[in-house]
Amino acid sequence: MFKDWVYPAYARAMRPRKKPRKRRHTERGQLVLTGALLTAALGMNTESSFVYQLFALLLCVGIGSRITLRMARPNISIRRILPRYATAEQTFTYRIRTGNLGDESEYDLVVADQPTIKVPDRQQYRTEREPFEESRNAYDRFTGFHRFMYLQRQNTGIVITPGKAEEVAVKGYVDVEIEARPLRRGVVSFSETQVMHQDPLGLNFGLTHFENTETLLVLPKRYRLNPAWRVSGGRNFQPGGITAAWSVGDSDEFVALRDYRDGDSMRKIHWPSTSKSTARHQKPVVREYQDEFFARNALLLDLSSSNARVIEETIAVGASFALDLQNTDSMLDLIYLTDDGPRIITAGRGTSAVNEQLEALATVRSCHQPFSQLSHAVLGHCSLITGCIGVFSSWTPDHESLAHRIMAQSVSLRSLVVSDQELAAGPYTTLLTSSIQSDLLKA
Amino acid sequence: MNLRGIQSLAMLLWGFQSELLAFAVPMALIWEGRFFFNRRWALTKQDFYLLADLTSVCLVLMIIFLFMNRTEYHFIRTLMQWLPILLFPLIITVGYSTNERLTLDVLFYSLRRQKQPVTQSWDLDYLLFGFLLVSSGTSKDIGSFYFPIAALLIFLSLLPLRSPRHSKRIWMLVCSLVFVSAFVTHTGIRETHLELRKRAQVWLSNWIQQRTNPLKSQTSIGQIGRLKASNEILYRIAAPEGGVVPGLLQEAVYDLSSENSWSILKPQFVKQAHSDDFTWDLEIPTTTDIPLDIYHEFHRENDLVPLPPGTARIQDLPALDIQKNYYGTIQAQGMVPSPRYQVTYQPGQNHTGPPAPSDTVKSRAYSGVFSKISAQGVLDSDQPLLSLQRFFRDFRYSLYQPSTIISSPIEDFLLNRKAGHCEFFATATVLMLREMGIPARYATGYAIQEYDDMLGMFVVRQRHAHAWALAYLDGRWRAVDTTPGIWLETESAEETLLQPALDLFANLTFLFQIWWNDQKQEDYEPYLFGLGALLMLLLIWRISTSEQIVVSTKATKEDEEDDTLHRGNQSPLFTLEAKLLARGYSRRPGEVFANWLKRIGYHEFLALIPSHNRLRFHPKGLTESEAKELAANVDTSIQQLNSEDMDLKTKSSSKKD
Repeated sequence: MFKDWVYPAYARAMRPRKKPRKRRHTERGQLVLTGALLTAALGMNTESSFVYQLFALLLCVGIGSRITLRMARPNISIRRILPRYATAEQTFTYRIRTGNLGDESEYDLVVADQPTIKVPDRQQYRTEREPFEESRNAYDRFTGFHRFMYLQRQNTGIVITPGKAEEVAVKGYVDVEIEARPLRRGVVSFSETQVMHQDPLGLNFGLTHFENTETLLVLPKRYRLNPAWRVSGGRNFQPGGITAAWSVGDSDEFVALRDYRDGDSMRKIHWPSTSKSTARHQKPVVREYQDEFFARNALLLDLSSSNARVIEETIAVGASFALDLQNTDSMLDLIYLTDDGPRIITAGRGTSAVNEQLEALATVRSCHQPFSQLSHAVLGHCSLITGCIGVFSSWTPDHESLAHRIMAQSVSLRSLVVSDQELAAGPYTTLLTSSIQSDLLKA
Repeated sequence: MNLRGIQSLAMLLWGFQSELLAFAVPMALIWEGRFFFNRRWALTKQDFYLLADLTSVCLVLMIIFLFMNRTEYHFIRTLMQWLPILLFPLIITVGYSTNERLTLDVLFYSLRRQKQPVTQSWDLDYLLFGFLLVSSGTSKDIGSFYFPIAALLIFLSLLPLRSPRHSKRIWMLVCSLVFVSAFVTHTGIRETHLELRKRAQVWLSNWIQQRTNPLKSQTSIGQIGRLKASNEILYRIAAPEGGVVPGLLQEAVYDLSSENSWSILKPQFVKQAHSDDFTWDLEIPTTTDIPLDIYHEFHRENDLVPLPPGTARIQDLPALDIQKNYYGTIQAQGMVPSPRYQVTYQPGQNHTGPPAPSDTVKSRAYSGVFSKISAQGVLDSDQPLLSLQRFFRDFRYSLYQPSTIISSPIEDFLLNRKAGHCEFFATATVLMLREMGIPARYATGYAIQEYDDMLGMFVVRQRHAHAWALAYLDGRWRAVDTTPGIWLETESAEETLLQPALDLFANLTFLFQIWWNDQKQEDYEPYLFGLGALLMLLLIWRISTSEQIVVSTKATKEDEEDDTLHRGNQSPLFTLEAKLLARGYSRRPGEVFANWLKRIGYHEFLALIPSHNRLRFHPKGLTESEAKELAANVDTSIQQLNSEDMDLKTKSSSKKD
């Protein structure tokens, strides 16, 4: 009730200003301001105390600080240098190249990068909760301000700590290191960069704004895995072999020569033998290659749950496996369901890099298409794979029957079910959202 | 760390201004000790919670105490002056602990349960600094040096924040400008305040006339709507030795009537001679005098003193002087807060001055009304009291005033409405008595009617304020109260449901004040000192046994490093090394002593290594005897080498030979 009423006020307060702020108090500046208000209240009666003198002093200090803020505004340029990816919940640093365009050295600048603030919508504010919200005090729970701020932080997706440029020489530049911590996977955007300079009394920062929009892809967070989680299963024949990978031509490993058969590529013709043999057989001779056998595994991701936290953890576990199962000798197919139908991304042995899978996982959403679509896609793929890891967000009879049918095709399957509560024992391992890392290390 | 030196100056300023130097000097010493003492106590959050809770409890107790004794101590000023002492233990504990700032959960109980980490924190050093400056300024008697010293301290506290963007010269220029403008501002504030107050006083005096003005009594006669009176208890009256408590407390008496106010003809007050420091004899005491204890704290320096009619002596009134006017109204001057004064009174007497011509002046404004009443034959000058009683028999007591303004409210009261409050009755009675040729005056004060069982005293509330007539009959002044007796019940019907609880609270506060007032500090001093000493011992024991961490301040770190290097150079093993190097055994970069000696085959010197290492790297080094032993061993080894050299030389020379 109250939350519905107060939501517009919060949203209005957090919306970006039409006219950007020109200054901001430092911590000491806030103290001076509070002191001025307190002394104004206490010193109203100039007869009974001398607090009004302190008020006059603090007031003039505050005003003096504001006026002198206009002195020595910095004349600089800004360029952000971002990495290609970041990982959720992993602090990383990037640089902001700060150049001095003026005729005097610049000192003591604070560079603060600003992400694009994404305010939660009313529905999200009403339904989603902050973790451990119940442990907050009654007032905080009632006003819901912390929930609003939490959701806004999550939507915005990144927390950036300002960096400091001690000195920028004339016509020179320095790379200011900025520390940032993505809070979630997906795309986070940057809106502007602010450069702050202090007034002589150190009570206010003057802000110079630079529009500086950019986006950064944040990959899902990942867990460390116990090596025992590696899928078992042998190698099997892979049509096309490694040729599908790093060259359009064929493997170097040929085992024999044989007569040309319809459909053979012209590239396979072994010309030296053909030149000798055509006279006799009127047929070209082609090279026959070693068939390729290697392990190919599937990572099956089920995103059917409606619990957002479970979905996030399922994706995180999926990403951890996607990275861990990569090696030069095997291929990994990531199979999951999107609103446009099942999707399979293969990586390894040169087909594509693991980052494609991680990029896909960074932006994937929960999907409520019929589970049968996923079953068809997986079962149709079973002939190619030897092992499969299924990361499920729930466990229903559909899941169970899919597991049986995969195993019936002699594919070794390990099922993991991510849940926020204990599940009954079954042919799977339960990963509790509260203790996933320890569960994954236990194996 | 930024406030080093400045904070203690602020403490001294505060101590000087608040006359609390006995606290300020040790506090400043303890504060500065932080920068010389390199031990810090490893305190847990629980420790801080306990300390913060203790501080909060002390603060609450202090607020309750000050609230209860608010007439004795200026609430805000005393609180502000003592706040630094209250906060100091918490702040200095942070200073001597391994923490630098306090997170908000320490200060706010409601944040302690939440699982989300509390990241916001306060730098309490600056908070204390602010409180010290404000506290210093709340002192009433203050020299003109407060402003420059406060300004200096503030600027010094801002100095470490100076950004390297701006030179020191610019900083000083800005500070000077701020100082000058602040001086102009505070002078302007002061002048504006004085001017405003002057104007407001003029304005107010034109509009407000207080009821207890001894020269004039403004009545509510002629006002419209409902009258409201407060239930606040003003006086508590007890008669020791089972004496009789009078029905009225008389505050002021008036003789001149106008349309809706009463005033006096002779406004002069005459100072009364002291019989003792706080005793005044107004009349010659008699044996029949009845003593009374009146409990009331005067809030103003000069105020009227309500007294029972016929008061002969006033005792323990906390005033410098009292003065009395012709009508017996007593005004006290230079009063200080004290909860009680005592009087003795002579029942049936009223020491207002003898009748004067003004006491029989009839009202011109109401002459028509009284002629109508006289025409009815109601007024009988032979039996004035009886005729008044008969006349007012049909009158009602009412707090409701007519909803429209009436041009002649007394006429309306007497002839039409026949209902009103005590001022109507008293005014009408005085005027009617005068119509009958009897000298009469208008008296104001309080009715003493309500008995409080809990205290065993009579209580007088604000709403018991009353007005009545004084008639000069049979050679003395007698109180004539024609207000229907039901008025007290009518007024008490206005009480809220909360009134018993409010009364209980007021009574408890009163009992505490009386108890507190009777206590003497000397009685408690031995216990207080004993308890203080015990607590101090406990504190010393706790401080000395708690886990401590030595923090290296910059200076001590450098000292230690120098010491280590120095001690390392002293090791006698380096002479041995030089000797071996001279022999041509080069030591590889990064090769430790032991490995080198093994490599070059001097295994016999390995025994010296542990001692050398201890001397070089162990914080405590070697004891004197151990150092001597090492030096002696090294000497022996060098002699051994020397003798080897000699042998080699002799061998080579013998070979040459």
